[in-house]
Amino acid sequence: MAQATVEAGAAGHGAEPRGKRTEDGQATYLVAIAEALWEEMERDDRVFLLGEDIGVYGGAFKVTEGFIERFGAERVMDTPIAEETIVGMSIGAAMEGLRPVAEFQYADFMTSGFDEIVTAAARYHYRSGVPIPIVLRAPSGGGVRASSFHSENPEPWFSYAPGLKVMCPAFPEDAKGLLKSAVRDDNPCVFLEHKWIYRRIREHVPDDPDFLIPIGRARVRREGDDLSIVTYGMMVHLALEAAEHLEREGISTEVVDLRTIVPLDTQTILSSVEKTSRALVLYESHRFLGTGAEVASVIAEEGFQHLDAPVMRLAPPNVPVPFSPTLEDAYLPQVADIAEAARKLSTW
Amino acid sequence: MATKVSEKQANAEADWRAGLSDDRLRELLYTMTLCRYFDERMEALYRQGRLPGAIYSGRGQEGTHVGVTVALRHDDSLFPTHRDLSAQLTKGLDLKRVMAQFWGRIDGYTRGRDGNSHIGDWRGNKTWTVMSHLPIAYPPAAGAALAYKRRGEPRVAMAICGDGSTSNGRWHEALNVSAIHRLPVVWVVNNNQYAYSTPNQLEMPVPTIAERASAYGMPGVRVEGKDVLEVYRVAHEAVERARSGGGPSLIESISLRWRGHAGHDPAKYVPKELLDEYVQNKDPVKRFQQLLVDKGVVDDEEIKRVEERVHQDFEAGYEFAQSSPFPVGDDVTKGLWVEDGYWSGEPSREGGTG
Repeated sequence: MAQATVEAGAAGHGAEPRGKRTEDGQATYLVAIAEALWEEMERDDRVFLLGEDIGVYGGAFKVTEGFIERFGAERVMDTPIAEETIVGMSIGAAMEGLRPVAEFQYADFMTSGFDEIVTAAARYHYRSGVPIPIVLRAPSGGGVRASSFHSENPEPWFSYAPGLKVMCPAFPEDAKGLLKSAVRDDNPCVFLEHKWIYRRIREHVPDDPDFLIPIGRARVRREGDDLSIVTYGMMVHLALEAAEHLEREGISTEVVDLRTIVPLDTQTILSSVEKTSRALVLYESHRFLGTGAEVASVIAEEGFQHLDAPVMRLAPPNVPVPFSPTLEDAYLPQVADIAEAARKLSTW
Repeated sequence: MATKVSEKQANAEADWRAGLSDDRLRELLYTMTLCRYFDERMEALYRQGRLPGAIYSGRGQEGTHVGVTVALRHDDSLFPTHRDLSAQLTKGLDLKRVMAQFWGRIDGYTRGRDGNSHIGDWRGNKTWTVMSHLPIAYPPAAGAALAYKRRGEPRVAMAICGDGSTSNGRWHEALNVSAIHRLPVVWVVNNNQYAYSTPNQLEMPVPTIAERASAYGMPGVRVEGKDVLEVYRVAHEAVERARSGGGPSLIESISLRWRGHAGHDPAKYVPKELLDEYVQNKDPVKRFQQLLVDKGVVDDEEIKRVEERVHQDFEAGYEFAQSSPFPVGDDVTKGLWVEDGYWSGEPSREGGTG
């Protein structure tokens, strides 16, 4: 991969997304997402982007910087600040054969388009047999001192609406491969990009234009024997760091990255628990009825015979995401909290 | 672009047939008669406890529903609401399958996955499958129109909602975005004067809905829904303007909701004098029948024959619905995802899919 150049993702068309790989060919999570969009737009002219300030400005996080020059204003469509209409227009365009990818500036603002997402997009196919191939991209998650309205983890809301596929990748490679799969999927997909990861995590990412990560498959990110941490998104990175500490203490930790929330890969979760007999479910959505509540239920119900300890959950409390560093750090599970929970679980 | 009351209404005598041939007028007669009879009979069945679920009568509004929909071509798309069965039938939906839908059967348009007038037929008649949250289909109509414009197709999207929906943000969002991009879409408001029980004056501070069009830089027309041909004339102009690249329009068609919001609602909040005026003087079906008799297109005998045909078609639809199987309970989770293939099979006589 060392020879991968700054053109990676441009599929040899001369133009390129402005977000670039590093000299040695590594891509940040953000660049990997830009590459996925770029490649899919090159591959299929039915694919188009719409959202607020995604054109000349290049998007709130600059994911689509350089796109309008290559694909034009029709395929990189700046919209009014009207989230219901961004989603609704995507639905109608998809019904007529286009493949819209809508960007929200923050996942928090998906509530402003909620009805079109959970009522219209989610429920249309079940009742009609008409596919709604749309992708709704949104930066989610906390840890960047962005306070209550720019830090939300809304994946449980959308996971509760049957008919939506929901993805929360943690690594650049997964982000790229999953987003490309989402664009090619015939169902409505909610693709949540963790903003803490955007520029923080980089790695070598395949530049094969048909590189895909299948939707609905978890991945064991670290093998271990003593307990499983089942998690996703930013928490994967914290869990991996905690696992390093635990290793030095003689606790062997397996880390399962869900990658996709819906459909949930229960098989990989249960296989891991079968191996380790202990499960810590770690998540960044609220503890009460958050994503991990379902994961813990699956383990308790279907993996009970493998368990040597009760399923444990670690997640933020049920308050809005706070701003002050002392409060946000207390709100989000920290590496030390994860390690502490794992110790407790391993000695139960 | 100033809002205008339809000037042509005054000149209706000059071209009373709105450019439609005798054959088209006879088709319209059948459709209007069917829509009225369907509405009345379904309500009767509901009151007898023979019809499950809900009904949302569009009686008295047929002039609006039929008039706007007749202006569409087969491959134009329609985005209606639950009160717009007359529009759906006009667009071409099959009465038999409509009735199977009401009884929750496999041959209904949603295969029992939804009920009543939550119907659509995208592949066949380019009609959106109705949802309750209004005007949820307004933004999707803009999206369909966006696709037509992008591909240079001479097609038009039409969305219908009631006066109640115009209070919702999406109504304004959709009009706004359609005007920005000059999308080929026609926005129809069936102003039947009541949002459930709330009258127009508690819904909006302006005298008409049509005048709101000027705020979005599009033509807005107000028309009387009592005259189906006048509604058609206005809709035809808007549809063809959209088709030829002239952008969106707003049509406000005035009628009165003769019945309650839904079957359970006696609508006692509607003043009797108002209802009487509409039923006696502004009945779009009777007026159209009378017009065709007066102009010599049909005679009373033919009116009767059309009514008999409608009765027979209704009975056939009813029988079809009753003999259609219920969907298999075990299929309840199927059809959620495209790849499970449920919708690619045809309904079987056992209630599954083959």
